[in-house]
Amino acid sequence: MGTIRVRFILVALAVSFFAVGMSAFLNYFKYKSTIGNIVKSRVLVVGRNIENSVQASLAIGMQFAELAQLPQVMSREKSSDRLVRGIDVFDTSGQVIYSTDRTRVGQKVPGPWIGAAERSKTTEWASDEGEDYVAGISLKNAFDLTVGYLALRYSREEVERAASVAGREILLAALGSFFGIAIVAPLALIVVIRRFERDLRTLEAAATHLEDRVEPAVPTGSAFDSSIGHLRASLRDANRSLDDLRAKLDSAA
Amino acid sequence: MKLFRLVVVLLVLAGLVAADGLAQVPSRPYRIYAITFRGMTDVERGFQDYFASRRIPVQITFRDLNRDPSRMPGFLEEIKRTRPDLVYTWGTSVTLGVVGTYDAYDPSTQITDIPVVFTLVAAPVLAKIVPDLKSSRRNVTGVFHVAPTEAQIRAMASYRPFKSIGILYTPTEQNSVVVVDEVREVSKRLGFSVIAKPLKLDSQKRVTADGAPEMIRELKQQKVDWLYLPPDSYLGTQAKNVIIPAAMNEKLPTFASTEQLMETGALTGLVSRYHSIGQFTAYKAEQILVQKVPPAKIPVETLTRFSLQVRMDVAEQLKLPPPLPMFNYAELIRPGDTPAPTEAAGGQ
Amino acid sequence: MAMLEKNYLWRIYWRLAGVIMVCVVIALAVVSYFSHRVFDRELVPETQQKAATVANSVRTLMLKAVGYGVPFNELYGVDQTFGDVFEENPEFNYAAVTDLDGQLLYYRGKEPQGAREYFRSPMILAVGLDPSATWKASKVGPQYFISMPIASDKPLGMLHIGIDSKFVDNVLLEVMLDVVVVLVVSLFFTLELLNFMAGARLASGLGEFAQQVERMRSGDFTATARIRANDEIGRLLRRIDAAIDHLNVRYEFLVGELDDKLRSALGARREALKPAMAALEGIRSRYRFGSAPTNAEGDEMNLNRIRAPLFAFILAEEMTRSYLPSYVNQLLVAIPGFSPQIVIGLPIMLFMLIVALGQPYLGSWSERVGRRRAMLIGASIATVGFAATALAFNLYDLLVWRGLGALGYAMVFVAAQGYVLDRTGQANRAQGFALFIGAIMVATVCGPSIGGILADNIGFRAAFGVSAVMAMLSLLTIARLPTIEVRAPAAKPSRGPRMREILALMVNKRFMTLTGLAAMPAKIILTGVCFYLVPLYIVSIGNTSAMAGRMLMVYAVMMVLIVPLSASLSDNSMRRDRYVSVGLIISGLSGLLLLLSDSFLVLFGVVFLLGLGQALSIAAQSALVAEHCQEEIRVYGHDAVYGVYRLLERLGNALGPLMASVLVVLWGYQGAFIAISALVLICGIAFTIATRGLEWQQTVAANP
Repeated sequence: MGTIRVRFILVALAVSFFAVGMSAFLNYFKYKSTIGNIVKSRVLVVGRNIENSVQASLAIGMQFAELAQLPQVMSREKSSDRLVRGIDVFDTSGQVIYSTDRTRVGQKVPGPWIGAAERSKTTEWASDEGEDYVAGISLKNAFDLTVGYLALRYSREEVERAASVAGREILLAALGSFFGIAIVAPLALIVVIRRFERDLRTLEAAATHLEDRVEPAVPTGSAFDSSIGHLRASLRDANRSLDDLRAKLDSAA
Repeated sequence: MKLFRLVVVLLVLAGLVAADGLAQVPSRPYRIYAITFRGMTDVERGFQDYFASRRIPVQITFRDLNRDPSRMPGFLEEIKRTRPDLVYTWGTSVTLGVVGTYDAYDPSTQITDIPVVFTLVAAPVLAKIVPDLKSSRRNVTGVFHVAPTEAQIRAMASYRPFKSIGILYTPTEQNSVVVVDEVREVSKRLGFSVIAKPLKLDSQKRVTADGAPEMIRELKQQKVDWLYLPPDSYLGTQAKNVIIPAAMNEKLPTFASTEQLMETGALTGLVSRYHSIGQFTAYKAEQILVQKVPPAKIPVETLTRFSLQVRMDVAEQLKLPPPLPMFNYAELIRPGDTPAPTEAAGGQ
Repeated sequence: MAMLEKNYLWRIYWRLAGVIMVCVVIALAVVSYFSHRVFDRELVPETQQKAATVANSVRTLMLKAVGYGVPFNELYGVDQTFGDVFEENPEFNYAAVTDLDGQLLYYRGKEPQGAREYFRSPMILAVGLDPSATWKASKVGPQYFISMPIASDKPLGMLHIGIDSKFVDNVLLEVMLDVVVVLVVSLFFTLELLNFMAGARLASGLGEFAQQVERMRSGDFTATARIRANDEIGRLLRRIDAAIDHLNVRYEFLVGELDDKLRSALGARREALKPAMAALEGIRSRYRFGSAPTNAEGDEMNLNRIRAPLFAFILAEEMTRSYLPSYVNQLLVAIPGFSPQIVIGLPIMLFMLIVALGQPYLGSWSERVGRRRAMLIGASIATVGFAATALAFNLYDLLVWRGLGALGYAMVFVAAQGYVLDRTGQANRAQGFALFIGAIMVATVCGPSIGGILADNIGFRAAFGVSAVMAMLSLLTIARLPTIEVRAPAAKPSRGPRMREILALMVNKRFMTLTGLAAMPAKIILTGVCFYLVPLYIVSIGNTSAMAGRMLMVYAVMMVLIVPLSASLSDNSMRRDRYVSVGLIISGLSGLLLLLSDSFLVLFGVVFLLGLGQALSIAAQSALVAEHCQEEIRVYGHDAVYGVYRLLERLGNALGPLMASVLVVLWGYQGAFIAISALVLICGIAFTIATRGLEWQQTVAANP
């Protein structure tokens, strides 16, 4: 009896592990992506303020490479939200033209940034490769030509810290439920399995009495009663015929 | 043997890379012959700035008509002699002088075999420079600068929604009549009413501003919400002294369709920056010169984004402040601001 | 009798599964509850922070307007700005500006309860007057507020933004859908796992028990030389064997004794033995003793073993359905002369083509090599294929790896089919294939939805990695298959159809009516819609791979529910062509639903109808070949006709994505749905007309 019970309980555990695991996983990822989006849209609010300023300057005819007011606007906006680590404005070839961090001016931005910007269907884009998250806005001129890009770098920490806190709690809840199931399910299963095992037991018990010549006392009410009855009947009949032959042989001696 | 083959392959590859690199840089700068009507404007500055920022070497020869059409034949002859890569023409009359109308041009004097890109033409189809904006079907393309009528109407509505607008226009200016018709057509689609009053003609059938203030008062009594100022030369001359003051008297907000009209004191208007127009023209030129696209395949277009200008003193007088979102993107003009670098008068 | 035992076991499984599911639901509820708490605790402050940033931006704008001379309480269009804010931030549901006395100046959104009192409360007014205050967060009933002062050179008023606390609920609701999918998939997993872990021996043991009872009832006491497992049923069977052995021993002994006596008896002794001999004759006529002939009728216990490997392997492939086109899109390399849409369809087409062309020849190969080994090889190749696809560089090497995967898939599929054929006889072949098809259909239900969820959360490449792991797991289950190959008794060596036969059948009108007007269109719309259009269209309108997976799941569920029903119905009614017609027409109507509405939710209706139509036609279709093409079978042979039929049908699989992609290029996604459905509708109507009034030979359902 043990093996079947154990095996079914293993199934229960495996499936619960899968189900609880998947749902914990789903909740965690949903949380992470929601937090990520909230933080990203917060950063983009700052970005849009800068974009307006750039557009206003372009509109009155200033050259993209000569927006004198821009660094001031950028540093003011950066200080309005502590989350933003740095703001860069770079041209279509990837070279940084303005930045809140002096040392970055003239350098090339990481490749994935431009790829993300080009792949995006709107003027907003984002990338999370590299050590910082970046949210960006593509800057277009009056005839819809992209003249450059605005990139706001913000720390992964905020999102990852929040995600790990949540992740831990969700994991704990999942583990708790899983262990709860590990205790409750076998108990519940055993109730069902017991009926099954009882049927099998009657089978086995009947098997030991297969060759009895005596009729069994009471039908045990298991699902196999009729089969067992047939089995015994067939064996009995065969034995009786053989008995008959024996008798005839003996009498002929 | 193997090493030798490898070296050969590497050399060939290197050669290809070098050739490809060289191909990017033209062996000599592109030569552009530019004819202006009244000297250098912001359009030309934008034109040059674009090439500079894209690092495309160009050599531009500027010739100025200085409002004198008699200089044109000389320029045409110089073009035919020097054979530049591209010809640039400023405004309707210059363009017509260089390429003529699409159904009646003179190949012997005018330019047909050198690509021509025009700029600052208000209505290329009306002027018969091109039969259709999608293609000129000849060696001509260019940029026009007046915002589409529907865009202007929508800009007006975004300032303050309206049910009815009034228009004063010069009945003898074909440009104006066409625009009024366009406004009527938009009105049917968007569901507002238009009351258009032609300015009076005097005994010699010349237009006059007599009675304009009364017409404006009538419009106000007929409950128009806006006074629309179409791109109308005569109206432009009368706006500052007659039309705008009358409208202000009646507390009627005014919408300008061109930057000159804006200059005269209208409340708001949708203008295109000359600098951007110049850049866009240079963009078209780049397609012809660098990407070798034939002008017939380049559509005649205008900017996608126009500047919305608002006069804050007028707004204050009329007690009609712009809606809050506009403070983000509109160009807000305060009295005493140095006029933004566009041309004050004379644009075509 | 055998049925009783079979049903009995599945009833036990369902009961067990029910218990497990109840526990799982409770566990999921617990996890959800805690997740909700976490979300509440963590998301709200983040959203408040965002509200502060947004509010700051709005405040700056207002101050700019004031700076241009517009009086603070005469600003115009503030509600427009608020509207923009709501559009970009759906979590915010209310925004208001109050003056220094807490009176409302401008607002937008439904005013929450208690807002007015809140605006006028002394604490808030104090914030308004405090020039150094940044912002303050408060909770008024179920609503969160962010309030910040607006001041130029003097205090002007306050700005408030309201966050609807329900937004956390909304976020979790989105997770709920996926969790429900996980539940449904878990149910199917449970049944399959129960079957795998306990079933093979149990089911076959119970089946054998039932068989033994029947045999002994009919007097067959021959001893079967079988090795019994050491579990409950095994022990029971052993006891039965023992009882039979005892009988046999008695019988042998008695026969021997009688023979001895007969040999040594003469005359009257002989006479005395006559009753005994008569008794022996009677026994011999009623009973059989001795050894049973080695089982010629198949190997039912081991038959069941194929279910787990097949399920695991097909699952690995099905998981990729909902996101493969999007992955291809990501790796796209522009091929000059071909639209990108068509290029995206290439890997799917290649896969289907290789499976179609490989099938006829892999059958005989797996026969030679051995089914188990063939499946091991195939699963290994497929594992490599999946893993390499996860690491693919661009379209070109993706094509190579998918081709590899196709080869592995075809090998496993054909070998598994052969395995079932080997171990079933005429009588139980239908059951055997029901098992086969059943495993595949359950995999089709579970795979796309889970795959879509994985792809959305961990990315395409990692999801392919999971498929590779799944394929590897299937290797482990394949290894447990019996190594001893069984050859089906009446099997002739099978071979692929010859070119001559293919061409001859392709111009045969009767054959092509069925194949060209029914079988191929059905496959074309299936692969075109499910494998190409649905995943791509859903993602193109900005939705997720998980949503695509859910739609494919609806299709698979329809198939699981309706195929058994339609199979038995069409068998009974014997008008199989009607079922095929109706099925085709319903399939043809599916895409036309897009004419009714633009919403992507219509797609659920599309896959529903498609599943219904396919389920109705598919069961009847293959049997129809035998009915419809009697003449051709007589001329070319059963194998050839079915071989060509299957080949063309599977070529239809390959054509589906191709046609769908061309239609997308011509008419866009919605147009493609409509066009491909219209095509199938026309074929269905043509088929109906062509087969109307034909005489039908009633035949027994032939083998697929």
